[in-house]
Amino acid sequence: MPIIAYQNVLQGLTVQEAMRRQVISLDREAPLESAVRHCIKFKVNAILITAGEGQGLGVVSKTDLMGAYYAGLPIDIACEAVMVGPPLFCGPEDNLDAALDAMRAHRIHRLYVRDEATGKTVGVLAYPDIVGMLYRFCNRCDRRLRAKSAGDPQPDRFRVREFMTPEIHAHREEDSLNRVMEGLAAYRLGAVLIKDREGLPVGVVSKTDLILAYKHGVSPEAAARTVMSSPVRAGDGNAPLVNALKTMIFSDVHRLFVYLEAPANLVGILSLSDVARFRSGTCRACLVSRIKVDGGR
Amino acid sequence: MGLTARDVMDAGFYTLRPETPISQAVQAFRQAGRDQGQTVFGMMVTDDSGRLAGMLSIYDILLLLRPKHIHIWGEMEDLEVAGILEAACRRARGMLVGDIMTTELITITPDTHLLLIIDIMIKKHVRRLPVLENGKIVGIVYLSRVFNRLQDLLSS
Repeated sequence: MPIIAYQNVLQGLTVQEAMRRQVISLDREAPLESAVRHCIKFKVNAILITAGEGQGLGVVSKTDLMGAYYAGLPIDIACEAVMVGPPLFCGPEDNLDAALDAMRAHRIHRLYVRDEATGKTVGVLAYPDIVGMLYRFCNRCDRRLRAKSAGDPQPDRFRVREFMTPEIHAHREEDSLNRVMEGLAAYRLGAVLIKDREGLPVGVVSKTDLILAYKHGVSPEAAARTVMSSPVRAGDGNAPLVNALKTMIFSDVHRLFVYLEAPANLVGILSLSDVARFRSGTCRACLVSRIKVDGGR
Repeated sequence: MGLTARDVMDAGFYTLRPETPISQAVQAFRQAGRDQGQTVFGMMVTDDSGRLAGMLSIYDILLLLRPKHIHIWGEMEDLEVAGILEAACRRARGMLVGDIMTTELITITPDTHLLLIIDIMIKKHVRRLPVLENGKIVGIVYLSRVFNRLQDLLSS
């Protein structure tokens, strides 16, 4: 008699039901400048590098582009010089749960989907897409929490501070971009808070800001203040979670700094994936299948 | 030789510079549309020496406006999103043409045959093709102009 090891809401779903069919790719000989532009234009964190008939050779991520900037590489060198490869692939018919396991095991946020017959890359499975899909499933589920709370005048009673990560890495506004990049790499962060000499938050430098600086020819010795985004997008830790979500969506940012009592008193950081995952997973079925890619932010 | 790019291209054209902010690029689109008597959906981008550096299309601008995480919040029907488009436009205004323009371009010459132009437009899903002569821009062929000419031929 077969032993059923586990059961969760992803069981029975295949990769092709969650994957994105638009794969942003560049030829191996394309310059890094093109990779930066594609990251900005298509709002993706990584580009698939291909050769010949579109076979995936490797990946150039924002982290790799930042590394090239840090290393002082010319922006017109070919992507293949900095790509990491080979990419990790899964198949369109693969079980979605197994694909998530692979992401967890390799500490990555995306898998490329390859058609075995043709060898061509036909899609990309990105972690946020799964989060979005889970939300859709849960929204239709009659056991979801918000369905139970119909008539409740305040269904979004959860507070931002309950879901934030109570840890903030910061740099001074006079720190060089090189130093900021060292901080981002050391802590595997997507963005870092920038403070002025009085210790007050004045901006944020993200990997996106850094690769744009690379493209615009800004010296990596320039001060963080020259490329930081300002003001800092922050939300009240005591506010309803939905308020933070709305701020992130309106600002088109993945993360929001959280303050308590006063906007200058930043105490944590909240990621959009955390919020979306939480809103997807309030019933027992979702709680037991909660997914998290360790080490990623 | 028959009809070629020379017969359907617009020899009077507007160009953008890579360092132009999107807010100004959109104004240039509008002005070009007024002058040409038709909506302009794409413009050529030139470098310091007047050489073709890229193309900016309305599709590039739409990509810029699309929120990064729309696949998550698009599922959240209960979320109030009034004003989100205005916020996206505010963010996009300051970006530069050179940050989002397309640089992988297909160009033609004034002598490229109309049927070859049609073939390129179908195969490559492009609606406008820069016309170069000895590396210098001499015009642009719009799908609409091609179709106008075909209408004349088809209906006569």
